[in-house]
Amino acid sequence: METLLKILAELRPDVDFEENKELVDSGELDSFDIVSLVGELCEAYEIEIGAEDIIPENFNSVEAIMALVVKLQED
Amino acid sequence: MSFTSVQFVVFLLLVATSYFLTPKRYRWVTLLIANYIFYFFAGPRYFIYLLATTITIYFAAVKLGDMSAKNKADFAAAKADLDKEQKKNWKANFTKRKRRVLIPAMLFNLGILAVLKYSTFVGSNLNALFERLSLGIEMPIHSFLLPLGISFYTFQSVAYLIDVYREKYEPERNLAKLALFISFFPQIVQGPIGRYNDLAEQLYRPNSFSFEKAKFGVQLMLWGAFKKLIIADRAKVIVDMVFGYPETFGGTYVAVAAFVYCIQLYGDFSGGIDIATGAAQVLGIQLEKNFLRPYLATSIPDFWRRWHISLGAWFRDYVFYPLSLSKFFMKVGKKGRQVLGNYIGKLLPVLIPQFIIFFLIGIWHGAEWKYIAFGFYNGTLIVLGILFDQPLKKLIEKLHIRTDCFSWHLFQVLRTFILVALGKIITRAPGVSASAYLMHSMVKNWNTEVLMNGGLLKLGLDTQDLWVLLFASLVLLTISLLQESGVQIREALSKQNLLFRWIIYLAAIFLLIMFGVYGLNYNASDFIYRGF
Repeated sequence: METLLKILAELRPDVDFEENKELVDSGELDSFDIVSLVGELCEAYEIEIGAEDIIPENFNSVEAIMALVVKLQED
Repeated sequence: MSFTSVQFVVFLLLVATSYFLTPKRYRWVTLLIANYIFYFFAGPRYFIYLLATTITIYFAAVKLGDMSAKNKADFAAAKADLDKEQKKNWKANFTKRKRRVLIPAMLFNLGILAVLKYSTFVGSNLNALFERLSLGIEMPIHSFLLPLGISFYTFQSVAYLIDVYREKYEPERNLAKLALFISFFPQIVQGPIGRYNDLAEQLYRPNSFSFEKAKFGVQLMLWGAFKKLIIADRAKVIVDMVFGYPETFGGTYVAVAAFVYCIQLYGDFSGGIDIATGAAQVLGIQLEKNFLRPYLATSIPDFWRRWHISLGAWFRDYVFYPLSLSKFFMKVGKKGRQVLGNYIGKLLPVLIPQFIIFFLIGIWHGAEWKYIAFGFYNGTLIVLGILFDQPLKKLIEKLHIRTDCFSWHLFQVLRTFILVALGKIITRAPGVSASAYLMHSMVKNWNTEVLMNGGLLKLGLDTQDLWVLLFASLVLLTISLLQESGVQIREALSKQNLLFRWIIYLAAIFLLIMFGVYGLNYNASDFIYRGF
């Protein structure tokens, strides 16, 4: 989780990731942020994230992003 | 059957009556019959295209669904004996097999669209090239009339197929139900492009009549007709005059026409969408939002998040993400970081696909060079916006410019609007060179005095019509500002006294009858986006 929070803080220092649970639905993260974030996640966790994984539910909160990472690591 | 015709009102009334009188179990069938009658009115010979899309998408999706179900069962049985690498290979092999179903079905459907929409453009440009190279070859050119809503229903169907491929949901196994999803009459004409997981369930379930929904639906339809008939069709006169005679109306007139064209296009397109959304609401179905007050956007990306939202979302989900996240662009990003530094390198997987998207959005609007130029114009603005985002933020900080105040917000809105209006000149002018001529003339011959000396009256509208246009546009702006600040107009209206509400309704109908632009030969093709 720490690695993820560090990636997110570097990506968007202006966003309170621990509080916001609607990162995509509220428009806080846009498609550019998502692509940059996915690039970082793939590198940091050695996973492959495809376009099919890019749904709001997977990116709306830190917990959801972490759950996606864990799921893809297990797959 | 135009959305603003009496026939459409009668049609909707008949459909709604039949729908709510049909036994609940068969209501979706009534809706399907209504869709096909509506489509039949547009031209029976175009049915073949709609049917071809429905059938191919149906079979491809069912096949993909079957493959996924079998793969899940097989994988669950074999999983325990597979190591990580083998699991990865299993997944890759299965993806390959699925693509053998997905790609031909996509190519077939997008191919129909491409041939009907772009064959004349490609053929005539190739012939011009062959002539220049003196090759002595001439390709035969066929012009096709576009079937009603082909761009919209093709995109909607392809999105459904890709979602089934991505295993987002199960395929629809009833062909007639899928046909209903693809052909829903309010949105087949000019969108919004619906998503299966939002729309299908609403179409298949037996909606019960709701006075509240019907009332809101009719109100929205009236509002849409107001935007279309009182604003857009009046603004059209000025726009047609200036862009039709660029030599006569240069200079300041171009700026006026570009400004008025922004109003026309918004009134026309969002008016049509409001009528579609309202008609669907009468039947108890909620369509997706397609506009969110685009001219109050504070940047070009913000504008594109508010304008034709369903098309932007389609390109984002089915083109931008697959491209940006593809192995190729991930590699480009890595290489870019080594060669161009961390900042630019990281942006490459976003910037290049973004440019491609705007090229595609450009040609989606039409098979003409001007639409390609429009795509590049927007793509360039967005790319420059991303590249200079950080340096500009630093500059603003250095200059101690306050960004948390109204004046800065207003500046952002006006700047975005001007950039959007310049882009509209590109699409409305007869061609790329004509738009360059108009922009040059606008700067070179700028003279606001012509507008003070009765110049506006030379643009085809008399004083009364100009006042109506101005007043109606101000009403639109006021409502937009209220909505932007969170006021829900229809809900607020429903809380008023009966007498007040009816005064508003009757005034709206009276205004539409009095000031709506109804001319001879007025027909449905007058909706601009219907042609896309």
